[in-house]
Amino acid sequence: MATAPEPAAVGISVWEIEPGERRKPGIVHVVMMALFIGIGIVVGTLGSLAIPIGFVSLFWPGQAVQALGGIWFGAWGVIAGMFFPFISNALSGSAPIPVSAAYLPANFLQGFLAAAGFRWLKADPRLRTWRDWAVWVVIGVLVANFLGAFWGTYVLTWFGLITEAARPTALFGWFIGNSVPSLIFGSILLKYVSPMILRSKTFVKGWFA
Amino acid sequence: MPKAEIAKKTLLGVVPVDSPFYRFHPATRLMLLVFLSVTPLFVDLPEINLALIAVALFLLRWGKVQLGQIKRYLPLLFTVALFMFTVAYLAPGDRATLTPFKLLGLTFYLEPIWWAFVSYCRLIAMLFGAILYFSTNRERDLLVALRTIRLPFAASYVLALSLRSAGMFMEDFATIREAQQARGLDLESMSIADKVKLYTMYAVPLFAVALRRADEISNALFARGYTLSARPATGGKRSDYLRKQYRVLARDWIAIAAMGLAFGAVVALRIGWGAFTDDASLLKALFRWVVGA
Repeated sequence: MATAPEPAAVGISVWEIEPGERRKPGIVHVVMMALFIGIGIVVGTLGSLAIPIGFVSLFWPGQAVQALGGIWFGAWGVIAGMFFPFISNALSGSAPIPVSAAYLPANFLQGFLAAAGFRWLKADPRLRTWRDWAVWVVIGVLVANFLGAFWGTYVLTWFGLITEAARPTALFGWFIGNSVPSLIFGSILLKYVSPMILRSKTFVKGWFA
Repeated sequence: MPKAEIAKKTLLGVVPVDSPFYRFHPATRLMLLVFLSVTPLFVDLPEINLALIAVALFLLRWGKVQLGQIKRYLPLLFTVALFMFTVAYLAPGDRATLTPFKLLGLTFYLEPIWWAFVSYCRLIAMLFGAILYFSTNRERDLLVALRTIRLPFAASYVLALSLRSAGMFMEDFATIREAQQARGLDLESMSIADKVKLYTMYAVPLFAVALRRADEISNALFARGYTLSARPATGGKRSDYLRKQYRVLARDWIAIAAMGLAFGAVVALRIGWGAFTDDASLLKALFRWVVGA
């Protein structure tokens, strides 16, 4: 499983390509994406069934999976985060396929923003400094979930699930319902699983490799 | 001598192998999912969406699916209705422009309550399409269907592996939990906060397993000469064994054509002639009469 040493503890960013290091997309990335979709299906389905309020859940740690996928596996994780809700929503009955399709931009943002934030701001996925925590909490959790909830509540309005007047309340509920589990679930996983991922060849420093 | 297959384990349950669904090609069954999921988008008339729900229920019964398998969706159907009608009651919109009516001493507004009903019927009709599909198909069926419609190998492989791995992770999850219980973990005595923490900690070994599996699977694919393009390293086309096990028969073409024509007619009538709007609904007239609005 672990093939490469963990990047230097302090000083060198985990995102920097080291001298002599060659990276290119391979089958392992595609396989990891598929397995990550599988994990997302399990986490998303259990989350959707946890505290369902209509077609939304008050506890959906699936957003943490989307954000972590983007941070660890770059574009492969973002793609996984976009598509696993299709299956988890259908299996849990929390959204029909056309509604899941309409959620796509929100699912993209919820994975992409964390991925881009960590890469552009050179934050460490192991959350070693207050700066890493700030990038994770502000961009990976709060901004991503706010934009996701913003788009998602429009989708609920388009499909007649809520009235236009109920959108602000739904937005608040969605934002809290995704942010709290993402913060708890995502932080623990970043802290304890990131060291393992960084040593594996599935870790993506750029966008595709 | 191999044991005769008596049932197929689908994504949501178990279905007898002599179910009439299995007389049709997996691609035809996928088309049924698309038809039942997309058609309600063009229909506001609740009568038609209720009829589509009835068709899905009939097909479940015809397909020998035990209806007990779909009982898990009953709480969801109830909470969805409760949520939608509560929202329509509490936040109806600009009350000055709406038609009020009294029921059980409470003031409701006709338009948002009616639209909640219309939307509910549409969403449940779409949902039953997905329940029907996942109740009667396995990952293998989906894979065959996607390859039949010539989805690129990498995409169909990723989807099939995702569905298969979801099942594997559920088994891993159960194994980890049993191992913890065997070491004396008492879930009953734990607080909710501790249970949430424990649930999160389950993910750590799950990811460790996933990383190991990613390595093993990619090595196995590499050893068999697979590439992202699905072309063998020696060139040419890779033969598709799985797809060749299934044949598209005349009844499949007839079923696909019927669904295509029905869908095309609904779209044309809706877009071209404004049909299937809720203005023509008899239920709406009945609802207005009942509430006196």
